[in-house]
Amino acid sequence: MEFLAVTLAIALPAMVSAFGQAWATSRAVESIARQPEAAGDIRGALLIALAFMEALTLFSFVIAFILSGRV
Amino acid sequence: MLERFLESKLAAIGHVLEEVAPRTVWHVGPLEITTTVVNTWAVMAIIALVAILLRRQIQERPRGLQTLAEIYYRFIEGLLEQALGHSDRRFVPLVGTFFLMVLALNYSWFIPGVVPPTTDLSTTVALAATDILLVQIFAARAVGLRRYLKRFVEPIPFLLPMNILEELVKVFSLSVRLFGNLFGGDMVVAALFVLVPFLAPTPVMLLEVLFGFIQALIFATLTSVYVATAMGHH
Repeated sequence: MEFLAVTLAIALPAMVSAFGQAWATSRAVESIARQPEAAGDIRGALLIALAFMEALTLFSFVIAFILSGRV
Repeated sequence: MLERFLESKLAAIGHVLEEVAPRTVWHVGPLEITTTVVNTWAVMAIIALVAILLRRQIQERPRGLQTLAEIYYRFIEGLLEQALGHSDRRFVPLVGTFFLMVLALNYSWFIPGVVPPTTDLSTTVALAATDILLVQIFAARAVGLRRYLKRFVEPIPFLLPMNILEELVKVFSLSVRLFGNLFGGDMVVAALFVLVPFLAPTPVMLLEVLFGFIQALIFATLTSVYVATAMGHH
């Protein structure tokens, strides 16, 4: 049961944030295709947004790691 | 037969963490000097040596390594320009130093036997705390102490604890982001080495080269965004 908790603690956030990142990236690629001259700005904004989304997964990774020490 | 093979592999994966975790090299009084500290100082020494040698032979017409250094300067200036909206030379040393340091630490596994110091939470917390502290100092020097402090009581003085908490959360998120990415990547490579030591870890290691650069880029980009915020640009 504890093993399941650890597994879910990393699997669920990774899944959800992957969807979030996919959505953000697809919109960014769309807007680059529409306005190639703004590619630099869009890439910068995308990188920061992806970093924030990625951080949430990594927080849960650290928490899952702390939990796995207790199982 | 196969079952016993898989069982032994699974048992070996359990010990992967010991490969990645820092080891104590020697003691200085109550302090433990770990491999993390030794590796960080080695990387620092290499960067300092290259910088000193480079400074000696600076010329009007760039040649060799100086060309690379000037391209690097332009690159950092561009990062800052994106965040601030205008070019500002005063912050180039801050952002440039942190980018180079994080990149060098991430890539220190190119030296055989070295585990990147950024896979240790102590290193990343120290880097992030120094970064945020320096951002406050640089911003206060740039806009003046009065205007800098005014940001903390805006939009209403009631939000002062929230604004201070925000700066502390920045330290937390910066350090855990860097640590999680590097540590996770290192664990995956180590686990693959245990399972299939021949050729299987190579693609993941290539991916790690890319991630090392992206994490350094994100660290520098976020630093310049924080500088812009601390100066009251948003």
